[in-house]
Amino acid sequence: MADKILPKDKIPGFIDALQKQFVVVAPVERTDAPAEFKEVAPGDNLILDGSQMMMPPKDYLLPRYETLLKVSARPGEVEVQPVVPENKPRVMLGMWLPDAQAIQVLDRVFLDGKFKDPYYAARRENTTLVAVMPAEMRWSWFCASTDDVEKWKPNVDAIMYDLGDRFYIEVTSPKGEAVVEWDGLSAPSSDDVENKNRLWEQFKSHNVLPFSDGKFYERLAWDHPIWAEIAQKCIGCGVCSYMCPSCSCFDIQDEVCGTCIERYRCRDTCQFEEFTLMGSGHNPRPDQLPRSRQRLMHKFKYQHEQYGVVGCTGCGRCVELCPVNVDIRDVLNKVCAEREPEPTT
Amino acid sequence: MSEDAVLVEEKAELESSESTQQERTWQPIILGILCNWCSYAGADLAGTSRLQYPESIRIIRVPCSGRVDPAFVLKAFRKGFDGVMVLGCHPGDCHYAKGNYYARRRITLLQDLLKALGLPEERFHFEWVSASEGNRFAELVQEFTEKIRRLGPFKGVVTPEKKTL
Amino acid sequence: MFEVENKIRQEAKRVLENGLVELVIGWAPGSVPFRTTPVFIDRPEDVDKLVWNPVCANNLAVYLPKIAKDRKVGIVAKPCDIRSIVALIQENQVKRDNIYIIGLGCAGVVDPSRLELAGVRLSDVTALDWAADGIKVITLNGEQLLKSTDVHRDMCLACTKREPALFDVKFGEAVLPSEVKPRELPELPEERQKYWSEQFSKCIRCYACRQICPNCYCEVCFADRVEPKWTAKKAVPEENWMFHATRAMHLAGRCIQCGECERVCPVGIRIAELMREMAEAVKNKYDYEAGDPNEEAPLLGTFRENDVDPAQHS
Ligand code: SF4
Ligand code: SF4
Ligand code: SF4
Ligand code: SF4
Ligand code: FES
Repeated sequence: MADKILPKDKIPGFIDALQKQFVVVAPVERTDAPAEFKEVAPGDNLILDGSQMMMPPKDYLLPRYETLLKVSARPGEVEVQPVVPENKPRVMLGMWLPDAQAIQVLDRVFLDGKFKDPYYAARRENTTLVAVMPAEMRWSWFCASTDDVEKWKPNVDAIMYDLGDRFYIEVTSPKGEAVVEWDGLSAPSSDDVENKNRLWEQFKSHNVLPFSDGKFYERLAWDHPIWAEIAQKCIGCGVCSYMCPSCSCFDIQDEVCGTCIERYRCRDTCQFEEFTLMGSGHNPRPDQLPRSRQRLMHKFKYQHEQYGVVGCTGCGRCVELCPVNVDIRDVLNKVCAEREPEPTT
Repeated sequence: MSEDAVLVEEKAELESSESTQQERTWQPIILGILCNWCSYAGADLAGTSRLQYPESIRIIRVPCSGRVDPAFVLKAFRKGFDGVMVLGCHPGDCHYAKGNYYARRRITLLQDLLKALGLPEERFHFEWVSASEGNRFAELVQEFTEKIRRLGPFKGVVTPEKKTL
Repeated sequence: MFEVENKIRQEAKRVLENGLVELVIGWAPGSVPFRTTPVFIDRPEDVDKLVWNPVCANNLAVYLPKIAKDRKVGIVAKPCDIRSIVALIQENQVKRDNIYIIGLGCAGVVDPSRLELAGVRLSDVTALDWAADGIKVITLNGEQLLKSTDVHRDMCLACTKREPALFDVKFGEAVLPSEVKPRELPELPEERQKYWSEQFSKCIRCYACRQICPNCYCEVCFADRVEPKWTAKKAVPEENWMFHATRAMHLAGRCIQCGECERVCPVGIRIAELMREMAEAVKNKYDYEAGDPNEEAPLLGTFRENDVDPAQHS
């Protein structure tokens, strides 16, 4: 697979060329807010170097709000119309590598098993993922603590390494070849290869924390006192899960507007009281403790058991944004420092 | 029926008759939230006295202006009403003695909120009316309708380019 | 800073030891040097966890309604946090007798994202402190003095009430800002609507603003109600508008201007700007300030015969 160099001044040409074949989706700059993944339109300012916090790419694949179907009712006739997005070839550019890995988790939830989600599939199946490796590691990243990051490479189609005035585009899957077809790209020099390798090594060794022995999922205990400690300060908001690139929980609601009904899907989170509230009024997770525990156990234990992938990829968004500084890295370190591994069943 | 359901239905009705309305000249749709003891009775009086007032107003009767949650008004604008009127008994005349005094503060702050949000304040009208003022009620509705007609259709709580399809 | 910090620890130890309180809420070092985290201390030997520095941002009053319902709790509080406590007392959410306030004179707290904008590499920071004319940032490569106006939170830059209004014991000196930051809301209605349309359209409805707000203590928020459904759960601009407009109304005359809502918003919505605008209207029309211990009753829970008349008298 032929790697290529994209000089930064050629980015507009590169995007134009891609747009001839694909719908290009990339982080678009916004005022006072993290950039957001959108289908690139003329005049958009793209942030492709991964240097800033961006909204998670799931916002495009699993939108915060999406109409699932519409029902229109006239006397004597009822019409149900699913609103499935068009399945088009797409390229998503500019996501952090942990975000791209998080899409693996979403894929397990929405594509595997008996029920494939047609809405997610339509956006995802024909999408080429191009991740970015920024020049500087973010302080909050702890990717290499969550997994063997070498295993992540084939899960994306290409990686763009920020080498200052140029990007090194490493093609990591056959699908990725289409991204480097443009003739404005050049072949990398040996210096470029070296610099790219250095960035990769930097990523691999960045924030490898004490808990990261690849066994932490065996050590997370249901009855650990840490849950009460986090729950006491956690305010039960949606920041950690809504900003998380791998959290996938949603709610489905119906809305009546005159003679039609809209059924839509929107975000939901295990951190909200209403998430588990039943029609009867019973709530199996009656306070914050089981909710806080659920978030961590789901990511680090249940998802690993269920899918063989860890639900957290170390992007650090919740670390940076939690209003009360619940830092999951600390939580894991504490849990893992104290416990001997439980025997696996 | 909950306030919410009422609003939804009113607006639905209005939407379904929209095409026919566009064929005629545009008629504003106004929500009137009227106190049972004054303006609602005033509206009644206007009706029984066969006074003419525009059909633009859709009325919700409340027991007292003190029952008016500012969210009623916000929701009405969110649903796209062109104007909202809230009417209550004159200060000192509230059937429940103090309801309208509480309302007075809420409505004042609601006006400030609309201003802070940059919503056209002229689309919201608050007035004191008594049960014997059937005439005045009809005039108020007439005048407010005229005003809204001049302002044109309400374009929504967010600017058109931010609207959800 | 260390002097005040020590006094806080001693006082916390004293009130825990002599049984005046069962628990002290304060700030502990965060997971990184530019953050702190709420801490709940119930053993005198743990008081050394308590810190006081320019990143003690959290308004800890948010925890009081639940935690101090039936026991005595000590709380370390900045002047804005104290205004929340006052408001909670006035609204009968906590009993004055259940709260022991360790009040602090304040010199303003720092917004870590502004440190980054001011050119500080966050991963190099080891500590922060107040200095005579700004904020001292200690990094791996030495010390840096930053201008207050560059790194404080907006709410702090606009805050002139830096002395505790209610306390059982008070430490530290208030430092007033040299100038008060004006609001940035555009004047013309159309521009305001455009401004808020843009702001609210970013909202992802994570409700962090509501959850962190000490005055949003409702058992079921209107936004979570299903019947009547005031606002749909979908994060679209119109519904977000409904959420924010109604919330602003609920906080009119109640918001004590701590700026927590704005601090925690992950998409940078200028919520406090709206709250300040409303607080100013409240001040002008009723000469009322939320969180002032001299106010007798909550603004909307009372009235005067000669209140401003909102009728338009056409
Ligand atoms: S972001 Fe923090 S406070 Fe909010 S739910 Fe997550 S852990 Fe709790
Ligand atoms: S927004 Fe209103 S209803 Fe919701 S918690 Fe705050 S004050 Fe209560
Ligand atoms: S609305 Fe915002 S500024 Fe006002 S009290 Fe609540 S969190 Fe503080
Ligand atoms: S914190 Fe920000 S994004 Fe979250 S609900 Fe509040 S305004 Fe919306
Ligand atoms: S009864 Fe009419 S306003 Fe109270």
